[in-house]
Amino acid sequence: MNSKKKVGKEIFLKINGKEETVFCQPGETLLFVLRNRLYHTEVKEGCGKGDCGACTVLLDGVPVDSCLVLAYQAEGKEILTVKGLGTPEKIHPLQKKFIEKGAIQCGFCTPGQLLSAKALLEKNPKPSREDIKRAISGNLCRCTGYKKIIEAVEAASKA
Amino acid sequence: MLRDHLFPKTINEALTLLKEYKGKARLIAGGTDLIPEIREKEFDFEVLVDIEKIKKLRSIREESKKIFIGSGVTFTELEENELIKAHAQVLSQAASLMGSPQVRNRGTVGGNIVSAQPAADGALALFALDAMLEIACTKGIREIPIEKAYLDIGKSIINPSREILVGIRFEKRKKGEGSNYQRVAIRKAMALPILACGVFVKSIDRSIASARIAIGPVSHTPFRAREAEGFLKGKSLSAETFERAGEIASEEVNPRDSRLRGSSIYRGGLSAVLVKRGLEGALANIG
Repeated sequence: MNSKKKVGKEIFLKINGKEETVFCQPGETLLFVLRNRLYHTEVKEGCGKGDCGACTVLLDGVPVDSCLVLAYQAEGKEILTVKGLGTPEKIHPLQKKFIEKGAIQCGFCTPGQLLSAKALLEKNPKPSREDIKRAISGNLCRCTGYKKIIEAVEAASKA
Repeated sequence: MLRDHLFPKTINEALTLLKEYKGKARLIAGGTDLIPEIREKEFDFEVLVDIEKIKKLRSIREESKKIFIGSGVTFTELEENELIKAHAQVLSQAASLMGSPQVRNRGTVGGNIVSAQPAADGALALFALDAMLEIACTKGIREIPIEKAYLDIGKSIINPSREILVGIRFEKRKKGEGSNYQRVAIRKAMALPILACGVFVKSIDRSIASARIAIGPVSHTPFRAREAEGFLKGKSLSAETFERAGEIASEEVNPRDSRLRGSSIYRGGLSAVLVKRGLEGALANIG
């Protein structure tokens, strides 16, 4: 019989304004816990090692690759995923401009792009094109549709 | 397998934990290098000791003659800090060019050193600043020059299962001093440097009193171009001087042929260009 105590603990997270408690094991990434334990599948898994930005979430308002954050490190912090940004009924201005400008092709990078753009506009409401490029430089678009994404962020900043 | 992940609040508490676990615990800072290794199950520790909640490691402060940077300071914090901009342009620039915003928001300057990659942007800048490292273990604190902290690719003298890199110190900028960072990569973000170079210059009366040039990756560790530095001493500030210093640097570096970064010949030539641009940039930064 294995009498060893199960490794892990309950951690408290605040996701899109909602308080959640979830059992995690040490070493599990925030990305894994969001997707596999809490079914926040709007957070996309791309490379899994910090190269692509598909799994970007805002952690206390700051964009991070959720594959490079351990769930234990996110304890007590506020997490924003794209589902917390807007809903079909109440769409966020960035989402509106992404749709208008056709800044979505396959859509896989879109959650991350939107969250990086949101963090940019919070910090710098009137960014230059260069500022926008820099802000989304950690979000790869496999369809290479960067031009429209940059235009959408620019349009949202002017709206 | 990982058994636990702990968050000590002080350096002493962290050191005690490392000692208690007798080499089975490992420090984690930003985790941008370590977490992918954990994911790939390439590790042999059982417990993570996280430095995030140790306040002393998270600060940048001015001492009487030096600037102190806690090892847990992130690249974003470095890039945006006014003291760093004023005293160490080379470090501010290097921090702004590393990785992506997401990686800069997590990755720490201490991790950049302990990971010991020869082209680490933070480390190259700190080589140019001739920084000192403060390292703590249960026996006490020691200070070593950053250059002495490197053993080989990915191997530093700091053992993250036994000791803690507390922080980094370098001298405040004085009159006549300036620094600059140059980096060439395939893209501007999320790309390893083909070549990068940190430069520090001290000038007196239109001539160079001293210079420090750090280049990477051209060796197993960040490389100080000492022949070029020696040549520059006492020379007048001129385009020819900078050109010649670049040529000398390109002769003393030994970059490998790399499918990722380019040929040895190309990167040797690039060394000359980046040293020249770095010297020009450092000169424009002189206070």
